[in-house]
Amino acid sequence: MEIAGQDAELPEIRRRARYFSLIVMAGFVAVVGRLFYLQVIEGESFYRVTSDSIVRTDVLPAVRGQIRDRKGRVMATVRPSYNVYVTPRQLTSEGFARLRTVLGMNGDEAIDVWERLQGAPTARDGGGAAAKNAERPVLVAEDISREAMAAIETGVDLPGVKIESGPRRSYPNGTLAAHALGYMNEISAEELRAKKDEGFHPGDLIGRTGVERQWDGYLRGHPGFQKIVVDRRGLPKTDIRDVVEGPSTQAAVPGNNVVLTIDLDVQKATERAMRAVSAAGVIVMEVETGRILALASKPSFDPNEMSGHLTPEAEQRLLADRYHPLHDKTVGETYYPGSTFKPVSALAALEDRLTTPEEKTKCHGSYEFARRRFRCTKTHLTVNLHDAIVQSCNVYFYELGSRPGMLDRLAKYGSDLGLGAPTGLGLNGEEGGFLPTEEWYRDEKRKNPKSEGFQMGQALNAVIGQGSTRVTLLQMVTLYAAIANGGKLWLPQIVERVESQDGQTLEEFAPRVRRELAVSPDSLALVRQALVGVVNESKGTAFKVRNKDAKDVEVAGKTGTAQVGTGRGEGGYEAATHAWFIGYAPAGRPKIAFAVLVEHGGHGGDVAAPVAMEVVRNYFDNVDPADKDAPRVGQTRRHVGRGASAEAGPATAEASP
Amino acid sequence: MSVVRAIAWRKLRFRFDWTLTSSAAVVTCLGLVNLWSAVHEKQSNLFSQQISWLGLGAAVFLGVATLDYRTISRYAYVLQGAGVALLCGVLLFGKMVGGGRRWFDLGPFHVQPSELMQLLTVVALGKYLNDSPALERRTWRHLAIPVAIVSAPALLIAKQPDFGTAFLLLLIFFTVMMTARLRVKTLAAILGLATLAAAPIYQHLLHEYQRKRFEAFFNPGSEGGYQTRQALNAIGSGRFLGKGYLHGTQIRLRHFPALWTDFPFAVWAEEWGFLGSVALLAAYLVLILWILKIAGDARDRFGATVCVGVAAMLFWHVLINVGMVSGALPVVGVTLPLVSYGGSSILTIAAALGLVMNVSVRRFSY
Repeated sequence: MEIAGQDAELPEIRRRARYFSLIVMAGFVAVVGRLFYLQVIEGESFYRVTSDSIVRTDVLPAVRGQIRDRKGRVMATVRPSYNVYVTPRQLTSEGFARLRTVLGMNGDEAIDVWERLQGAPTARDGGGAAAKNAERPVLVAEDISREAMAAIETGVDLPGVKIESGPRRSYPNGTLAAHALGYMNEISAEELRAKKDEGFHPGDLIGRTGVERQWDGYLRGHPGFQKIVVDRRGLPKTDIRDVVEGPSTQAAVPGNNVVLTIDLDVQKATERAMRAVSAAGVIVMEVETGRILALASKPSFDPNEMSGHLTPEAEQRLLADRYHPLHDKTVGETYYPGSTFKPVSALAALEDRLTTPEEKTKCHGSYEFARRRFRCTKTHLTVNLHDAIVQSCNVYFYELGSRPGMLDRLAKYGSDLGLGAPTGLGLNGEEGGFLPTEEWYRDEKRKNPKSEGFQMGQALNAVIGQGSTRVTLLQMVTLYAAIANGGKLWLPQIVERVESQDGQTLEEFAPRVRRELAVSPDSLALVRQALVGVVNESKGTAFKVRNKDAKDVEVAGKTGTAQVGTGRGEGGYEAATHAWFIGYAPAGRPKIAFAVLVEHGGHGGDVAAPVAMEVVRNYFDNVDPADKDAPRVGQTRRHVGRGASAEAGPATAEASP
Repeated sequence: MSVVRAIAWRKLRFRFDWTLTSSAAVVTCLGLVNLWSAVHEKQSNLFSQQISWLGLGAAVFLGVATLDYRTISRYAYVLQGAGVALLCGVLLFGKMVGGGRRWFDLGPFHVQPSELMQLLTVVALGKYLNDSPALERRTWRHLAIPVAIVSAPALLIAKQPDFGTAFLLLLIFFTVMMTARLRVKTLAAILGLATLAAAPIYQHLLHEYQRKRFEAFFNPGSEGGYQTRQALNAIGSGRFLGKGYLHGTQIRLRHFPALWTDFPFAVWAEEWGFLGSVALLAAYLVLILWILKIAGDARDRFGATVCVGVAAMLFWHVLINVGMVSGALPVVGVTLPLVSYGGSSILTIAAALGLVMNVSVRRFSY
């Protein structure tokens, strides 16, 4: 094969072969560069994509802690519920029709569910998404009845339908103490974003009101997870391991139990005592600890219903109710205190030596001041401070109110007694109330020249708990408890301790004194004496409705009939006065304090006091009989005034004609 | 003949090219290891079949190596003619798979003549270039016969349709012609014309599914990009050190068509990572550069041209296969030599390496 030119051509071929070697190397460098980019630079993100696509993380929900009363009785718990899931691919239309009958869906619901089952496939993640969706079970009904469950379980002709049990919040006592307990509902997308790190997942319930909300962090626990390797149809593949980084399962940590200071018996008796009124709030508190025994707001709601799937009709009904069932009247609303404010006025006057227990005023049924006439409830004739509280004489207090600087003194002593600022319980959006000052009125005038500005008349209104003074029931019950216990203003307490699920105490909350009142023990004793008189002296405004049985404990308290001043015409429900009764018992050795407010109920002594009397009677009959033999302190003092006892009427300022 | 054979065996024994054999063996072994990972769960029979093909391949390798390559060059055009005939046959009687006729269905085996055709074309080109020396650089005039040699199989393969292999054949052709002193200007002119022709070819000659692949390449989110996306995820998720042998997840958990024929590199890269990928590529690089070195040492144009042709064949296969698996090139059905599953590919490469061994053994003898 030696051919001419062969040798001449070979070196050139060799040279070009070497060039080709360079091209080969360049090609390999390019490929290696590409791989370096994919595997080293972008490797982590590819790895995440692949592990996300093959690892399915199932959330293991944490069992929510119980809420119990102070004696360990369950007020909120978790029970199993049965939910219906349907795998769209396997469901036939006949099967759906049968399922619809079993679950009792109406036409709209059925259409809604059917559309959800047929749900438009998301084309986002390429082909196979529709098929994937059709394989995934869809929740169509929650918490079905036992009958429906039995029907589905035995119905072999329901392909693609399965029942799974899941935990569900349950409030075994229904509407009882609903405002204290609160309710839960599904977490919103926004909250989910904000609380990403707290272990929330879409569809989780979160406490919305009451203890469920305030103590959600304690009750919730931590959800666990289980990571499963799945193939592209979402079916588990058990033979592939070592893909999951970190632990593949983590057990859920159950939530803790929250033990309330509420006593279920007291709560029940309290709500029973409210049966005759339509809208009211009652708080019962331990005088020596500040612990709340009962917190009742009427009308109530069923937290089972609120925490489940509230139907639009039920929601509409709750929102349209004129008595505002969702509103917590004990802490979330402020009212004029009316005559129940008089002890505050009395303490202010005594401390600042504006009056003495002996000083007397003549009541002719009204008080003339600055060419205006301020009315009293009736003609009390000659009264001293004690009588003025017992008989709820406004004129005596108008006289005090006309002293210079009285409005600011009320603000000063009122805030010392815990008014004008939230007590610190923090439940249900606790309101702070309001105590006006002269400066505030002048400020208002500056902002709005049409308003009156400060005038002495405002002090006259404030001194009898009207005008601009606003309080909450919780503030008042804490205040009266402080009067009863000799000057300790408690931080109101509704949670006694936190327990683990197996009953170990994790955290215990001792009673906390907010402050010792600045007022002298003598002044407090004088006010206490008067409060005893309100119920136990024949002229007292609550004498008629006292617990008359000699075995019953003595009650001390103050009635109030607060003008609401909505000015919404005459005679309507909303125009009627609020009825107050606030006090403590037993009078001789105070154990419990209470505050009763009946919205638009009328006269405090007629409407609110009987509720309180029943609560007290029940408490010392059934819950704490040991305190029944407390020393009796009533009727030790002769009546000063004359005439039959009567309820304090509407007490408000009115311009003279 | 038997005496000639005996002499050939002795030559082979004394001058056996261990570098060539061992670098090819390394690639083959890595390929086997990888194939087991890819098929052991579902189709482990493919593994034993591949072993048989490799055994047969070894025999072919040794057989071709012992023949004097000058004997082979004598029959080059005949072989080329036979190959073209096979391609015609496959178009007429071939098995219809996935919209194309590329295979002869021989009972248990499928034979793909287009693989063998690449080698036969290289040999025929070697024969032509050997027999018609050029005193100056080759231009258009010298291209007539080589173009005739390559265009018949290229057109027939494109007709199957298998544009990937047809394109590959053209790449090999140009590589060989460049080495055989084709003027760069001429090549540039040809490439310019080819670019002009690309648009009409794309519009009129390509099938719908082929166009889809190209579109998928430029738009990976589309439906056709599924395979590429899965392969990219697999490769990328291997990171630096890989997920470990038999612990690749992406490949086995996802539905992955053509895994062991066209995408074995994705399996390898996922399980062995960047380091393993570079190791495999290094083995290929050693093999290809060694073949080019043999080409440089060859005593005649036939040997040199055939070696360059075989090196080009391996190089373009590896480059295009890894390129398409790593998403740098559109998906075309190009195998990864010695690693992909498949008898036609293995036997072709074995014969090609046998030829190279033949040239290597005879580089000193005349």
